[in-house]
Amino acid sequence: MALLEMRGIRKRFGGVEALKGVDFAVEAGEIHALVGENGAGKSTLMKILSGALAPDGGEVWLSGRRLRLGSVQEARRQGIVMVYQELNLAPNLSVAENLSLGRLPLFVDRKRLYTRARILLEELDLGFTPEVPVGVLEVGQQTLVAVAQALSQEARILVFDEATAALSAREAERLFQLVKELRNRGLGIVWISHRLEEVFHLADRVTVLRDGQRVATLPLSGLKPEALVELMVGKREAGRLDLPSPKAHPPLHLEVRGGGLEPLAFDLRPGEILGLAGVVGSGRSAVVEILFGLEGEGRVNGEPLRSPLEAIRRGVFLVPADRKAQGLILGLSARANISLPVLRELSFGGVVSASREAALARQWFQALGIRPQDPERPAGTFSGGNQQKLVLAKALATRPRLLLLAEPTRGVDVAARQEIYALLATWAREGVAQIVSSGDTEELLLLCHRIFVFRKGRVVAEFHPPYCSEEVVAHVVGTAQA
Amino acid sequence: MLWARLRPEFLARYGLVWALGILVLVLSLLSPYFLTPSNLLNILRQVSINAILALGMTVVILKGGIDLSVGSLLALAGAMAAGLAIAGLSPVLAMGLGIGVAIALGVLQGLLVAYAGLPPFIVTLAGLTAFRGLTLVYTDGRPITGLPEPFLFLGNGTVLGMPVPVMAMLLFLLLTHFLLRYTAWGRYLYAIGGNEEAARLSGVPVAPIKVFAYAYSGLAAGLAALVLTGRLNSAQPTAGTGFELDAIAAAVVGGTSLAGGRGTAWGTFLGALIIGVLNNGMNLLNVSAFYQLIAKGVVIVLALLVDRLVRRR
Repeated sequence: MALLEMRGIRKRFGGVEALKGVDFAVEAGEIHALVGENGAGKSTLMKILSGALAPDGGEVWLSGRRLRLGSVQEARRQGIVMVYQELNLAPNLSVAENLSLGRLPLFVDRKRLYTRARILLEELDLGFTPEVPVGVLEVGQQTLVAVAQALSQEARILVFDEATAALSAREAERLFQLVKELRNRGLGIVWISHRLEEVFHLADRVTVLRDGQRVATLPLSGLKPEALVELMVGKREAGRLDLPSPKAHPPLHLEVRGGGLEPLAFDLRPGEILGLAGVVGSGRSAVVEILFGLEGEGRVNGEPLRSPLEAIRRGVFLVPADRKAQGLILGLSARANISLPVLRELSFGGVVSASREAALARQWFQALGIRPQDPERPAGTFSGGNQQKLVLAKALATRPRLLLLAEPTRGVDVAARQEIYALLATWAREGVAQIVSSGDTEELLLLCHRIFVFRKGRVVAEFHPPYCSEEVVAHVVGTAQA
Repeated sequence: MLWARLRPEFLARYGLVWALGILVLVLSLLSPYFLTPSNLLNILRQVSINAILALGMTVVILKGGIDLSVGSLLALAGAMAAGLAIAGLSPVLAMGLGIGVAIALGVLQGLLVAYAGLPPFIVTLAGLTAFRGLTLVYTDGRPITGLPEPFLFLGNGTVLGMPVPVMAMLLFLLLTHFLLRYTAWGRYLYAIGGNEEAARLSGVPVAPIKVFAYAYSGLAAGLAALVLTGRLNSAQPTAGTGFELDAIAAAVVGGTSLAGGRGTAWGTFLGALIIGVLNNGMNLLNVSAFYQLIAKGVVIVLALLVDRLVRRR
């Protein structure tokens, strides 16, 4: 679990929606950059974190505890500390006094105060004595004092907002060293900056905000600066499906454990399409298998998914990657394939109602435009694209809440592929949540509201199309190999 | 176009009827005794036991398994029923218990296949040996004779002019046909035999259905046991030896695919009839029993070849 988790944060100023349901998470021992153009929502998000602003919606969790929002004192008490451009220091008090500012006891034991300050300053190798009044220090040194102050107050999350704006290059370098030292001590650090070279130099991961929404969260190693700029200001990808916005509530809460994965929990809203990207063996295919009860331990809204049968009962259905080996019984008629998962509902006392079964097959042949229009033909005699539609028909006939799709267009021609995309969008509009695991990045960008990129069994990056170019996503998926 | 009508489904559905028709035609030309009502009824009586076993076998083969234990199971069920009846139990209850034992042992084998994941061939081969041994222990290797009236009725009685064994066979045929053609469980058998992985991913309760298949085969063995015991008026400890192979032969000649997922109750019934008619005809024509075995083998291979050619198209 992440050290800090902000979920679905919303904030409106008059008619302007500054934050439209932003998720943001920081791990312990991580420098996490927060970037975006002016007005993207960075500062608003951080003000909510610091308690200076109360959000209109959303939650903030720190080490698994939910925070009371809108209170600066509460945020401070929980160890969330801001280091702003305008520093929070008292110029005519000494460094030592500033380090304990706001926490000074009624009767100050000066000796202890100065001893503790000296130890801390030496530990951080800051090179000035605790007796100096802060006002005589240079700006860069004052920033370092502010950091030391945060540390002496047992900060767990440290937010730097344009902290180097007023610093010289040498002072900035000194600050970077200090920040890295703090990261190594296990603090979570949020670094807001317009200077991208700084972000690349310092941060481990970056989250890009744009128009009050999160565009992406991804690791910085190997990323080109142009790619990051593109995420911040680039054009909308062309050719994207006209996807409905997911319905707000109630979401499905999904939990995934086992299968060689780092435990994963996330919410999926009705009609939302989540893409899983990653190279083969990255763990993305295990996710859908776990959620269909094939391995590991999956849960939907807290209910266990221990077998396909149980998953189907809870409204989950998997369209497997290999339609011939896993999706269809090729020797049986198309009709018998479509009805197989719902045979019980079509039966009275164990006897299948032939008329209801035939009607079901006709209905789905029509809805999906399956050719040739003869449900009595063995499934194996249909073309690849139509076989895939048969598998979809079978899945949709169960009226799932959550549709899992593994490589939904593998070995399918271009025309049928477009049809399948349109169908999935239609079903999203009907409120069916979908998870698409695919090796085809272009497909995911076309189809998904959100994309998780997997590497070695964990999510390393998250993208929110449409403002992500294929190159950027493909790059992150690709570096997942290394 | 004649050729257009020779589609695989057409041939598969009616090919067996044609084959049986031609066989009957040839035999009726060769022997004046063949096409008499009494002989035809005799054939039906003769095939009844094999047909019942073959119908049970078909259910197991359909789901992608095999049951080699039916011959031994038949002997054990017959011996149990006879022994209990001799011991003074009500004959009907004794019969019920005989069938019950066969079903229970079918379930046991099914559990080993479905839940322990053992190969059906091995499990039922073990059953074939062990159940025969149980029969020999139970009977001490001696036939059980002097059975009460209800047994004799099952073997030799008639209802409305129809021999009871034939009646039993036809009822079991209808039951199996109904199961396979109209019920969800029947469909599941086809699904599992056709593609077990796809069936599982479709929410088919694979393991329970597998257990059911072996239980159904056990039921067939128990039913056949009562008919045979009645016909012989005794329970023989060596009864049913090799019957499993005849049952498999009937199913295969009837178009059941040993790979699973394909076959019908009617097909198996016709398969059993074809083998029965062939045996009967060769007996009438005084063909030596040795040559009869060869002929049976050739017919089985021919049936498979024709089937293969038709499917390949």
